[in-house]
Amino acid sequence: MRVSVFDYGAGNLHSLAKALEHDGAFVEIETDPARAARTDVLVLPGVGAFGHAASRMASGVADLRSAVRGGLPCLGICLGMQLLFDASDEGPGVGLGIFPGRVHRLEGGRVPQIGWNTIEGANDPLLDTAPMTTAYYANSYVCRPDDESCVRAWSTHGTARFPALVRAGRTIGVQFHPEKSSAPGVELVRAFLREAAQ
Amino acid sequence: MLARRVVVCLDVQGGRVVKGEQFVQLRDVGDPVELATRYEREGADEIVFLDILATADDQETMLDVARRTAERLFIPLTLGGGIRSADDVALALRFGADKVSINSAAVSRPAVLAESAARFGSQCVVASIDAKREGEAERWRVYTRGGRTRTELDAVEWARTCVAHGAGEILLTSIDRDGTRTGYDLELTRAVVAAVDVPVVASGGAGSAADVQEVLDDGHADAALVAGILHDEQTTVRAIKQLLASTGLPVRAVS
Repeated sequence: MRVSVFDYGAGNLHSLAKALEHDGAFVEIETDPARAARTDVLVLPGVGAFGHAASRMASGVADLRSAVRGGLPCLGICLGMQLLFDASDEGPGVGLGIFPGRVHRLEGGRVPQIGWNTIEGANDPLLDTAPMTTAYYANSYVCRPDDESCVRAWSTHGTARFPALVRAGRTIGVQFHPEKSSAPGVELVRAFLREAAQ
Repeated sequence: MLARRVVVCLDVQGGRVVKGEQFVQLRDVGDPVELATRYEREGADEIVFLDILATADDQETMLDVARRTAERLFIPLTLGGGIRSADDVALALRFGADKVSINSAAVSRPAVLAESAARFGSQCVVASIDAKREGEAERWRVYTRGGRTRTELDAVEWARTCVAHGAGEILLTSIDRDGTRTGYDLELTRAVVAAVDVPVVASGGAGSAADVQEVLDDGHADAALVAGILHDEQTTVRAIKQLLASTGLPVRAVS
């Protein structure tokens, strides 16, 4: 199974790649967005700013969008989750629009939110297979879907409640960093891969 | 609600973990990759590698250590020491850092914080501040170059400036307490926490689990940096977190 991690040219992909390299998954880091769409599993990683990442993705947005809409299993992490929405207050550019809605600045506590926070009200098979109650977050922005029925788990920062995990079919977005959430997070990544392989 | 964090710091020099007292008298305490992963298993919430005597050669070594660590560590890794530009930040992130701490270079040129935050987001830009108490009043002076150079900056004011330039976190070290194991500087920590709206990691002076509890509770720190007492096995991350949980502080439970 080929797992493509789309590289916006920003962050550390080592831990994520290691978490994904499991059960015969072949992980490749792909800087070309159109090529990243031609794979078995797509992962949108989580470090950087929306505007910068959207511009790196721009030339392949149509390919990525149609692949993901067509059922390509996709995991978006932090910024990668936000790129699954339409647009962001953080910067210009368009996301994939898999989840109708916008990304807003997190308000209600110290921002950026950095550290271990809750995963509440979990209602997704992925969290049944790989239960997590805390995870590592590092974000200043959060997703606000037009229709909250896609939200499968929540978290709270100060007075703000925000989506921790969203799902649309085989597309998963997580605001936290599973690859930085120690053993339970790595288990979640692997549960996603097992689901994708089915 | 965010959990309070126990951050384990490893001073890395020439590819080995060393521990100094008040920034001098270094001694070897082990292999960075082995120690980092061991602390993760014990329940550390984050690891910081500080390359306290960064030179061009050491930076190469450091990046190699970071890459090997990132492949085995599944909690956040912060890299600091010798970071001078947004390009250095890019390199550190590339090699496996999740966050980068910037100290002397920010004092020389605060724009380095803004440039890094614009490219990578402020969540990965940590302003590291080494502060030393001056006189009897609650005033602290910023020092750079591993505590060797006194600046004209007031630590609390400087923390505010760093945040205004895009720092997403403050790593605050008391030079007076570093390595003394007499407890964190609570007044310094409280003053900086009150002055900024980003997380503050208190550092310098941990002598026991109770000291960690104190700086998170009375000191209002979001996180506490611990080093020597763990490397010497005076206490464990697990024992610290058990104490924190027993006193009602929110911490990440580790099985």
